[in-house]
Amino acid sequence: MTKVVRLGARLRYPVTVVKLLKRHGDKIKKQEALLEYSFKWMREVGDSIGGETWQEEQTTIATWESPADGELTRWLITEGQHIVSDRGAMEVKEECSHEIQFQGLCGMCGKDMTEVNWATETRDTARAPISMVHDQTNLTVSAVQAQRTEQELQRRLLQSRKLSLVVDLDQTIIQACIDPTVGEWQKDPTNPNHESVKNIKSFQLDDGPGDLARHCSYYIKTRPGLDDFLRRISDMYELHVYTMGTRAYAQHVARVVDPDKKLFGNRVISRDENGNIFAKNLQRLFPVSTHMVAIIDDRSDVWPRNRPNLIKVSPYEFFKGIGDINSSFLPKRQDLLTSGTPTNGVGAAAPAAKKESAAKNGGGKQDAVAEAGDDPTVTKRQVEEQERAFEKQINDRPLQLLQEKLDREDEEAEKATVLSEDGSESRSSSPPAQRHRALQDDDNELEFLEKHLTALHKTYYAEYDSNRAAHRAAGNVGLSSVPDAGRILDELKSNVLKGFKIVLSGVLPRGVDIYRSEIGLQILNFGAELGSVVGRDVTHLVVNTAQPGREKLLAARRRPRVKVVGQEWLASCFSQWTAVDETPFLFAGRLAEEGEAGNGLAVSDEEEGESDTENRAPAPNGRARDLTVKIITPSGRLRTLDSVDESEDDLEPGLLPDDLPDGQSSPIDGLKSFNWGSADQELEEFLASGSSGDEDNDEEDNEDDEDEDEELADAPSINGDGTTTIAPSAATRKRKSRDEDSDSDDEAPSAAEDADATPAKRLRRTSSQHGSSLRKQYTSDEPDTASGLPTPGRSEEQDGTATQENAKKQEGEDETMDFDAVAEMEAEFDAEWEAELDKAEAEFAAEEEAERLAMGEAGSKPEGGVEGGQGAGE
Amino acid sequence: MFFLHNLERRVTLHPSYFGRNMHELVTTKLVKDVEGTCAGDYYIIAIMDTFDVSEGRILPGSGLAEFTVGYRAVVWRPFKGEVIDAITQTVNPHGFFAQAGPLRLFISSHLMPDEIQYDASATPAQFTNNADIVIEQGTHVRVKIIGLRTEVGEMWAIGSINGDFLGCLQA
Repeated sequence: MTKVVRLGARLRYPVTVVKLLKRHGDKIKKQEALLEYSFKWMREVGDSIGGETWQEEQTTIATWESPADGELTRWLITEGQHIVSDRGAMEVKEECSHEIQFQGLCGMCGKDMTEVNWATETRDTARAPISMVHDQTNLTVSAVQAQRTEQELQRRLLQSRKLSLVVDLDQTIIQACIDPTVGEWQKDPTNPNHESVKNIKSFQLDDGPGDLARHCSYYIKTRPGLDDFLRRISDMYELHVYTMGTRAYAQHVARVVDPDKKLFGNRVISRDENGNIFAKNLQRLFPVSTHMVAIIDDRSDVWPRNRPNLIKVSPYEFFKGIGDINSSFLPKRQDLLTSGTPTNGVGAAAPAAKKESAAKNGGGKQDAVAEAGDDPTVTKRQVEEQERAFEKQINDRPLQLLQEKLDREDEEAEKATVLSEDGSESRSSSPPAQRHRALQDDDNELEFLEKHLTALHKTYYAEYDSNRAAHRAAGNVGLSSVPDAGRILDELKSNVLKGFKIVLSGVLPRGVDIYRSEIGLQILNFGAELGSVVGRDVTHLVVNTAQPGREKLLAARRRPRVKVVGQEWLASCFSQWTAVDETPFLFAGRLAEEGEAGNGLAVSDEEEGESDTENRAPAPNGRARDLTVKIITPSGRLRTLDSVDESEDDLEPGLLPDDLPDGQSSPIDGLKSFNWGSADQELEEFLASGSSGDEDNDEEDNEDDEDEDEELADAPSINGDGTTTIAPSAATRKRKSRDEDSDSDDEAPSAAEDADATPAKRLRRTSSQHGSSLRKQYTSDEPDTASGLPTPGRSEEQDGTATQENAKKQEGEDETMDFDAVAEMEAEFDAEWEAELDKAEAEFAAEEEAERLAMGEAGSKPEGGVEGGQGAGE
Repeated sequence: MFFLHNLERRVTLHPSYFGRNMHELVTTKLVKDVEGTCAGDYYIIAIMDTFDVSEGRILPGSGLAEFTVGYRAVVWRPFKGEVIDAITQTVNPHGFFAQAGPLRLFISSHLMPDEIQYDASATPAQFTNNADIVIEQGTHVRVKIIGLRTEVGEMWAIGSINGDFLGCLQA
């Protein structure tokens, strides 16, 4: 335990050693003079008042005091030596290396480490800076000690052929909830959820945040099959708990999951000991080497430094909409791929959950992401935040609301089935047969997880054995043959989606760099390539089934090789670690009937739009369209559909920005420089001029419902006129967002009135609207919910441009307006392009309009609705 | 080591308590305030009696009355070198924590006999010599204090079980 002691930077170099006061073998103490040295310096002498001063060189002899305790074993300098700069002076054998310290006390000699001594330049507490014990932060060790402890651990693990596994609690192996509704359901056997909740364990915490939460029960739902999973896994792994909950919470949960303390023992680390409330860090537990550690967690953003070791688990969402009760500290999660596992996705609560996830997704950036964890004000603020969240959950009882909503939805659905027989095509999802329960326990993630962990363990020890054999042959047995679990995990993962090139559409919020997004990183991690635009070598287009991006979808449909799949496909690939068969996830099925798909689009757009205005149109649209159009315009306005398509196919790879260097430019750059003002203006002009032809096209639209599939697909490319193509569509998008802004105001009254309207119901309403006519408006503010049939406001539409404006405003309130406007516009382009047909149509429509006017004045409203349907039929 | 110690403390009383049994109230408040606290390098365990309760003085501005109370209390002061009995709380690879009344002790693996080794595979983890000595959570141990540190209202100690008659206590 000898240590070289340096002279220190505080001496006035150059110095000369005059005399060594101690000899080899002497005991030395701190602050004891060890040697004398001399140094030269300039001094101002003379008469400072008279101004006659001069510099004179002085030589001073000083002593150097020991900064260390112990036995002097060897001098590294000699008497008379001239020393120019700081260097080692002696070797000291210390009595104690102070390698383990507890609360400022040396754990080996009991000395107080906080004493500050003028002779030393460093503090003794700095000698043991690493905190590596699970349940204590004030026990610190030195790097050497840490390494020693860890090597012991590794040896022990290798002997028993195990690895370490760090397990997250919330939403990984359990889900907690403090909604008192759960307790009530547990007691009530007649409740539909009784079956689901009856095995939920609960406990109370004395130190919960806030008064309200102090006496509430925590309900802990373990993931299905958890007991068996942990039992089997613990044969291969030593388990650690690492949670963002408080210590008391973590211990209670550990007791629920593992009553005998066989699995986790006392290897539990919580937020209280973590030292950082935003991130988890493997180095906190394994400061030297993380080669034998794997992590399972549902969030990867909390492990910024340990991504390779992480096996990301799809979050367990049993209590729908509750999320992670301990995550109020963390930034909002950006990586939600689905509303749960694929099987979950078809549950009755899916719309609600989706909305929830959309709201979460759109939550945007939280300001407190990278702030220092120990800032007391931040911590306090966030504790308060959590308190508020807790109180909200207890008071609002979200689960009860969910169940009530489901019940109501069931009733509505029954009504709807009656209504949908009225002839109008209603696209309501298949009506539920019995009373739905809010809580469904159909998660199978742990099966896959166990497979992955087993595979990792097997691969790891296979590699270790071969390494060791090689090392033994070389006569070198040690820990150097330990492979890195992180690397092995990476290798295992990177084969999963090898050879795929994946493009995302509508999955990420606009403006997010896909290469740095969580989903993007994961895709790359699993060995696939990422693309920003549907190009030649793209194999998969992953769309947000709730609101697929049009452009990429259309581009993908032109290429039969590109498989268009819902994001659930990606999620199940990630959780199963295989290239899952795409068939059940194919999106094309819905596109087959474009009319319906169109309706679906509009509805889901509206749903998302309420909570999240960002996450709407796929980012690269503007640009992609921009480019295609520019090329096509000069080459041939009057090309037929087919030829345009072909030429596009030829040109595209070189022209579309899919060749952009990875991660360098965002695909929406093109939109940034776009002149929205001029686009708006153009749109105004355009609408004003085309108002008369407006209705005609609508009629045509309805007429061609079946063909619309193709027409819509081709609409962007067949519009020869480049500028107008961009402008209205871009402007529409702008207007859409503006309208949605006003929506929040305008909708306020109607929202109150709609308060009980469930998504499913709205969906039905909007779809039946589409059924009659795209342009139909409600004349009154209160839609006739009883009949479910829309009331066309023809009188207003007939009034020309002035009322056209009115209608537009009203449209803002109309939930279906987004899609209407787009469809309308494109229908109009069709019209322009096919001039002849248009003329005929106009004539026909003019006639019909007159007829309708007459009818509208005389006839009653329901008749109007029926008549609209007839018009579509014609 | 326990001592009977004469101490003095200033107790303030709210005006609403002014009245006949004021001195009783002062004593009650004193007991509530002081018992079980750590005053510098000793713990006040129990107050035996009070004497010499001074006249109350009204504090200007607040109206509270201040009494100077002399009292006799049982205090416990741990000393370096003292041997005490404690209960094991948690065990980790570097050593174990033990609690002796209000005092938290850490006994590192360096301050144990060489034959006592950490065994992580046992549940719960323990220090053992693979014979009669097993130190795990809940084990009673006899510990010699080798280091002490105090802060306001807190005290920590380093203990050792390296010595005759130290270590695991057979129940």
